[in-house]
Amino acid sequence: MITFATISFLGLPLLAILLLNVVSKKTGGAISISVGYVVAIIQMIAAVVCMALLWMHGKDFIEFSLFWDMNATLGAAKLSVDLFSLVVLFCIGMVSLASLLTAKKTIGEKTLNYTNLLMVIMLGMNGIAVVTDLFSLYVFLEITGIASFVLIALLNDKRGLEGAFKYLVMSAIASALILGSFALIFTQTGSLVYGDVAKALADWRNAQYAPLLIVGFVMFIAGFSIKAGIAPFHGWLPDAYQSAPASVSVLLGGIVTKMAGVYALIRVLNSVFVAMPMINNTLLILGLISIVFGAVAACGQKDFKRILAYSSISQIGYIILGVASGSLLGFVGAMLHFFNHATFKTTLFVNSAAVEMQTGTTDIDQLGGLQARMPVTAVSSILAFLSMAGIPPLAGFWSKLLIIIAVWQSVSAVGGGIALAASIFTAAYFLILQRKVFFGPLEDHLTEVTEAKGTISLAAVLLSIVTVAFGVLFPVILNFLHLQGIL
Amino acid sequence: MISGLSSLITSGNGAGLIWIMIVIPVILAFLALIIPKTAYSGRATVLVLATVINFIAAIAIFCTKETTMLMPWAGFEMNLAFRIYSFSGFTVLLIAVFALLVAIYSIAFMRNRNGSGQFFFYFLLTVALANGAVLANNFVVMLFFWEGLLVTLFGFLLINQHSKPKTAVKALIISGIADLLLMLGIAFTVFQTGSLSMDAISGLSVSGMGLFGYLCLMLGALGKAGAMPFHSWIPDAAQDAPLPFMPFLPGSLEKFLGIYLMVRVSYEFYQLVPASGMSIAVMIIGAVTILLAGAMALIQKDMKRLLAYQEISQVGFIVLGVGTALPVGLIGAVFHMLNHATYKSCLFMTAGSVEYRTGTTDMSKLGGLMKVMPVTGICFVIASLAICGVPGFSGFFSKELIFDAALETNWIFYAIAVFGVFLIAASFLKMGQAVFFGKVKAPNVSMLKEAPPAMQLPVVILAIGCIVFGVCNFIPLHLIQPIFGSIIGNHDFSGWPHSATLVIISCVILLIAVLNHIYGYKKTGAALSAVDHIHYAPVLHSIYNGAEKRYTDPYSWLMVVVKIYSYICFGIDRAINWFYDVLLVKIVSFVSSRLRMANNGSPSRYMVWSFSGIAFIIMLFIALM
Repeated sequence: MITFATISFLGLPLLAILLLNVVSKKTGGAISISVGYVVAIIQMIAAVVCMALLWMHGKDFIEFSLFWDMNATLGAAKLSVDLFSLVVLFCIGMVSLASLLTAKKTIGEKTLNYTNLLMVIMLGMNGIAVVTDLFSLYVFLEITGIASFVLIALLNDKRGLEGAFKYLVMSAIASALILGSFALIFTQTGSLVYGDVAKALADWRNAQYAPLLIVGFVMFIAGFSIKAGIAPFHGWLPDAYQSAPASVSVLLGGIVTKMAGVYALIRVLNSVFVAMPMINNTLLILGLISIVFGAVAACGQKDFKRILAYSSISQIGYIILGVASGSLLGFVGAMLHFFNHATFKTTLFVNSAAVEMQTGTTDIDQLGGLQARMPVTAVSSILAFLSMAGIPPLAGFWSKLLIIIAVWQSVSAVGGGIALAASIFTAAYFLILQRKVFFGPLEDHLTEVTEAKGTISLAAVLLSIVTVAFGVLFPVILNFLHLQGIL
Repeated sequence: MISGLSSLITSGNGAGLIWIMIVIPVILAFLALIIPKTAYSGRATVLVLATVINFIAAIAIFCTKETTMLMPWAGFEMNLAFRIYSFSGFTVLLIAVFALLVAIYSIAFMRNRNGSGQFFFYFLLTVALANGAVLANNFVVMLFFWEGLLVTLFGFLLINQHSKPKTAVKALIISGIADLLLMLGIAFTVFQTGSLSMDAISGLSVSGMGLFGYLCLMLGALGKAGAMPFHSWIPDAAQDAPLPFMPFLPGSLEKFLGIYLMVRVSYEFYQLVPASGMSIAVMIIGAVTILLAGAMALIQKDMKRLLAYQEISQVGFIVLGVGTALPVGLIGAVFHMLNHATYKSCLFMTAGSVEYRTGTTDMSKLGGLMKVMPVTGICFVIASLAICGVPGFSGFFSKELIFDAALETNWIFYAIAVFGVFLIAASFLKMGQAVFFGKVKAPNVSMLKEAPPAMQLPVVILAIGCIVFGVCNFIPLHLIQPIFGSIIGNHDFSGWPHSATLVIISCVILLIAVLNHIYGYKKTGAALSAVDHIHYAPVLHSIYNGAEKRYTDPYSWLMVVVKIYSYICFGIDRAINWFYDVLLVKIVSFVSSRLRMANNGSPSRYMVWSFSGIAFIIMLFIALM
């Protein structure tokens, strides 16, 4: 059971790619979306099963390998899942499913290409979630990155190509920085395995770090900041989100940048750079800048997707802030916010896809009063935004609360205060968007608009249910945290 | 619950009586409200019935020995506690008598007028609340009833002014401030003793916190009694409210309540020392009230307004008497309270009769009514003689007692009081001659006749009271003196005043007033302008002008302050609003539009940002190391 569940994370996407490409192109196109559904759903189930197994066996993590002997002394990569990686694996499955549901209506003829690339990107992201050494991490980062460049440019239009190019350029810089930083770390510590590097770094603790190692830290932070889109490294992010096809935006905004940037960063921080105040404080400041910058910039945007992109910058800031606080509570808050962000941001990108599909535009100045025509989209958008703005009892409120408490307690009240105050801007751009798109009188040219039918609405409804249910049931999790002595 | 109530009532002691006095008027008040206008006699019956029951119960209470009643209520010592004793029994009896007389008067007066149902409703509620306030033995309970009176006062004034309740608001604000002070005073007092029970408090010293407690309680009581500076709504109410309101609330009930509390505060809760600073302060309030209200009364051209100012002036005498803290002053003040209610209610009612028949109280339109309304005219004259303090009439005896006390403290107060008598006498000579003597003059001369019997009856009774309380002044005084037995000892103040000098001075003053009136009458040839030589005297003229324009009305100043304050608040609010709605929005939209334009899609620019970000991180590292 364990073996099957763990292997499925890497094996299943590979298998799906094989399956889709051995059959004829026509058959592959016909079954591709359905195969995608199966993979995504199995991944979600596998993640839940693994969580249950972890809990039942009282273990912190499960180690496994794919088709090699993981106990070989040299060169064998160990894979491992713990609670955090299982949560993100579940998120990957959930967002991929939402992306597939959106793609069914919007992607047109390129379903096979899309599904192939989706499987590759899932493979990459799952890899990021389960690896335990820096080099494998880099490999899977590149897999994810390359798949997403192609996905952005999938429709072969000018806009998509331009967005993909920018992402490619910035990603290349990020890759160079990351690879450089890993190399420097390797020269100074002699290992790339998380645990060994952490041990070696612990030996440095009482002395000054070697200058090259510090250069490595800087390059590490800068590289992952570009991947995650933390201000001021965010430049490519709004362009890429805006230019990507609707279903790819869902994927990018919902999970890809979070996996390639935020998750990888958190994983390395937690496993390698354990309790290093220098890095934590730097990330804390970058997180606060990101929160405020993203929120303020979102207020002035004219495009539905760009508002969401800037709000991503702001929300990533919260996640980084939680981790950078250095406390367990902050880490738990960050993990939960990661999940919540995947939920509500995916909902909103699905909504933007629905609006784009039904009206042909995402320019908010040309929209208005859609609530009357697209009630499901409007209501799910309100729920998602309320969750993002941290309105109780929706899910986002709880995770944001934990993060702010953690920062307040373990770092400074000022940081917590800024994070809290920035929530007002979250509410502000939410209200701007809601008012311009969904509220008010219906624009004349939109009278013929109808609700997005079928799978898109289904995705929005399912994700809204998750947002509400997770928020309402959150006290159970709080109680659990309380019993664990975290809260 | 009903059986419990009936057992309370039939228990035969004071407790049942207290419930009758408070609950029955309330029930009947609602009955009077729901009886339709067409069944006016039904309404009237309810009103008279309620006041008669109240009157009988009040007599029973007056005859009851001291009783206390206590029911647990809200916890924290806030018990539903009542106490019948000599003073409260006497006061509820007075309330009952005047309520009955005014009720009889008003059923005739309010016939065919709008708002009679509301008037009777508020009337009976007021009776119940006043009874409760007097009988209460717990400060919280007293405050409940006392504040309830504020509601009925507002209601009364609203009857004729539904659309623009200027006077009602004015009265509410002024009385509300007084009640707020009363609350503060209670807080100070309770803080010192730690008990909310009124009979547990006695003989506190007027110093330290006691000073504030006494001052605030006194100001609250003064506000109810209508002394300066809480007076200015009364003349306006005289013009705007239904006329029976005037003899009922400002004329009698509010005086009883205010002076009842004033006396209890000064002689029971606190120990006011004669000639102490606080005593002088209270006397100054009294003296100023006498002087200013008397001076304003002098120049009024409307019967109701003139009577209202005189009424305020009379309160000054009572406050002066209480403020002396001397036994003679106390007895004089309580006696004067009774006399004042008697003749002032009588005067208001005669004015009401005039208004009822002629439709106006503007003195310039009236004249010679004695010929057509002889009973009203004679009663008016008797009450006027009493208010002026002509020897033999009731007002004379109580005033002489107050003069006695004032002189004992300081001759200045005596001089002011005597001058006050001159002002009152002069204004009455003017009003009396202008309205009731000379050539018959009215808007509807041909239809004039005597007021209806129901209106004459209370007027006549009160006029007889003015004579009886004077000639046989031992009757009221022998009721009043036992109440304060512990303060005055066995001293008997009834009979002729003991100082012949003071009597002679009073007579001389009255004579001067008459001579002044004759001088003015001869000079101008009209009774109404008999005091014009005072009104238009060089310096006084401008002062009077200012007063007529309400420059001297504390309420106007209060309203100016309120207006300034509200402008300031409005400004602050606007500023805050501007900050949030305009400035913040502008800043945010400016910044974010700049940010939007900065993100122009050029990868080289993004790269520059990223490298400056790296530089920033390096700087942070250097700073953090």
